[in-house]
Amino acid sequence: MEILTLKNLSFTYPLEEKKALDNVSLSVEEGEFICLCGASACGKTTLMRLIKRELAPHGTLSGDIFFCGKAQSELSAHESASEIGYVLQSPEAQIVTDKVWHELSFGLENLGFSSDFIRLRIGEMANYFGIAHMFGSSTAKLSGGQKQLLCLASIMAMSPKLLLLDEPTSQLDPIAAADFIATLKKINQELGTTVIIAEHRLEDIFPIADKVAVMENGALIAFDTPKNVCRKLKDRRTALGFPVSARIWQALSADGEVPLTVREGRAFLKENFSPRPNDIQEKRSQKDIALSLSDIYFRYEKNSPDVLRGASVSVGKGEIFCLLGANGAGKTTVLRAAAGLINPYRGKVKTAKGAKTALLCQNVQDLFLKNTVREDLLDILAVHGIRKREAEDKIIEISNSLGISHLLEKHPYDVSGGEAQKCALAKVLLTEPDILLLDEPTKAIDPAAKKELAAILHSLCQKGVTIFIVTHDVEFAAENANRCALFFYGEILPASDVRTFFSANNFYTTAASRISRGIFERAVTENDILRLCGKEGK
Amino acid sequence: MNERIAFANFHPVSLFFYFAAVLIFTMFTQNPVLLLISLFGASLFAAVTSTRAQIFADLKFYVPVFIVISLTNPIFSHGGATPLFFMNDNPVTLEAVLCGIDIAVMIVSVMLVCKAFSKVMESDKLLCLFGKAAPKLAAVLSMSLRFIPLFKRKFAQIKEAQTALGYFKSGSLSESLMSNARVFSALVTWALENGADTADSLSARGYDAGTRKSFSLFRFKKQDAVLLILTLALSAAVLPGFAGGSLDFDFYPYITVPGTDGLSLISYSAFGVLSLIPFIFEVKEALHWKYLRSKI
Repeated sequence: MEILTLKNLSFTYPLEEKKALDNVSLSVEEGEFICLCGASACGKTTLMRLIKRELAPHGTLSGDIFFCGKAQSELSAHESASEIGYVLQSPEAQIVTDKVWHELSFGLENLGFSSDFIRLRIGEMANYFGIAHMFGSSTAKLSGGQKQLLCLASIMAMSPKLLLLDEPTSQLDPIAAADFIATLKKINQELGTTVIIAEHRLEDIFPIADKVAVMENGALIAFDTPKNVCRKLKDRRTALGFPVSARIWQALSADGEVPLTVREGRAFLKENFSPRPNDIQEKRSQKDIALSLSDIYFRYEKNSPDVLRGASVSVGKGEIFCLLGANGAGKTTVLRAAAGLINPYRGKVKTAKGAKTALLCQNVQDLFLKNTVREDLLDILAVHGIRKREAEDKIIEISNSLGISHLLEKHPYDVSGGEAQKCALAKVLLTEPDILLLDEPTKAIDPAAKKELAAILHSLCQKGVTIFIVTHDVEFAAENANRCALFFYGEILPASDVRTFFSANNFYTTAASRISRGIFERAVTENDILRLCGKEGK
Repeated sequence: MNERIAFANFHPVSLFFYFAAVLIFTMFTQNPVLLLISLFGASLFAAVTSTRAQIFADLKFYVPVFIVISLTNPIFSHGGATPLFFMNDNPVTLEAVLCGIDIAVMIVSVMLVCKAFSKVMESDKLLCLFGKAAPKLAAVLSMSLRFIPLFKRKFAQIKEAQTALGYFKSGSLSESLMSNARVFSALVTWALENGADTADSLSARGYDAGTRKSFSLFRFKKQDAVLLILTLALSAAVLPGFAGGSLDFDFYPYITVPGTDGLSLISYSAFGVLSLIPFIFEVKEALHWKYLRSKI
């Protein structure tokens, strides 16, 4: 049975000429797991919001939306609220109440269920989602992953038939994101709930999705099984986010079955290529030390445990250094120590003589203070005592080099994740740092924006800027860093070059490394694999 | 829930009535017997529900408060018929001294009762109380309880992000004020943006469906009924003496001798029991545990 049918749906926002949605028709069977993908601003969110009546944006709409055979407008408020569940991007923003149990019961309270019914249902939910142990705690104490799980549980408490999720994992680290996706799969398989999820990171989703809908400029350009979509769409912006196995398959113009998972990718490589070592030369690391931390000890309160226990690292001039590690372990604390924001109670932070450091925080919105990007950039220059005339020139220069000239008059909250990242980077770069500290720079940005960011970082390195990145994103680190190190239990484990680092790790490594292990030595990125495959020439 | 305190396990409604009764009787009397009973009950409860370190910290606070309040009255009030000595040509009278002590007893016991109230009534319980009367108000209250710490954290975050970029660098007062103002305006922008998302989350979950009923984790059990009935019955026993005037007490010009008629005695004993309920319950539960543990 069709649970959702969209017929010739077009939508235009007020005061805009371009259609945000252009003649989208689609029908979803009950129990399907649908992945909706496409570059930023392709109309994904608009489409999802139109399906959920309460969140529909204002504008001109034509076409029809049917839910369970009924026109959307005929649904009662009760039906619409409970049967179509919607999980938003940021868990922080959608949590409404201060206690976990209250968040779970919130939707049910709104629908006017009896206390006994609610008590049973939230108990059930807390158990099913494995959050029973924090039932009575305050929502502020949860980690990002737990928060998003709570949001999902509180929607599922209303037992929706259709679950819509708008980039639910964009604020999560990869491990929490994988957990979240696994829970979605469980819901879909065990409860038969229909799921439509909009995502950039497709590595984990493609293998479990029944169908993939791809959007470009408001139009639906493909709606098919993941394998067929991989076959059809090559060299598109969207394809940047496809699973590595599938991308390798695409790049080699292979035929036959499309590999989606690491297992299928390995089988594909094994079948077609013979093992060979990687002869890719490592970039030499610099001798001059730009930043060094020696035996840093730090704790937040007198009686709390140490967050840093003798963390030491030195970063060479003009190097890109990535520090990887689990969430909440204290990686950010390392950056804060390097930026001089906290004072370690033992140990020393040294920077090369006269070197200026600047920190780009994780949540880039925290950097913006003014109503337009331009005013914000002017403000930081004024604080650093630069005259208005000169400041204008500097802003033109930086915005050209980062490609944000068209964003200067916009409000910093109105630009996309990737754009906001670049604007924030511009602000940080205007302080002319010699050492740039970045905290999770790839969080919440799409694969294309990641590529642009990488290009910017490499060009900065060419100019001699040292870059110290704290990240979960193993793929980004493998592709762009000179050296990597793992942060664990308050210490920075000895650093090594990217290929040694990732090929030595079994779990904490890239998908490409897991695919090629035992076939190609020391291949840790998609490009490594492709280069080695290309040499084989099959 | 505050699991360390057994008394906190009662239903919010019973607790609310209990504390309301004790507070009203303590605040609206000058009768030293009633006030001493109240102070006694409240201190015993504070003692059994605090760690030793907390007790010392509390003593360090309440004893000076008590002394300052009792000394203040005789300095400013010179009524009363029995001068003890003269200070700056003003009489310091026995009545004023005793009245000061009486006021100090009242203020300290009101503070202790309020402290017990806040220990026992966490946000969940307050919400349960409000939720019954106004479900939407309860939701708003719960949201605000979340927002205040959230704002504090966000303010610190934004400030740190700016500090890392060179704001707040000079440390001068004017610069610090300017920079703080910038951070505050950014916080407001963020709050509005965040508010829009929260509004989405509310309507997505049927907040506007118009059928909201409040839910709370607390169920009204037998022991809650017992506490409620006990509170009401004891209050009813205190009331005749309290309202009838036999407990009235004056310090000026002469100190009243506390009444010992039947009505007063009933009031005293009823109020004594009422004030001691939390302490007795706490001790009873502790003994019960000890007994259970000894059987393991």
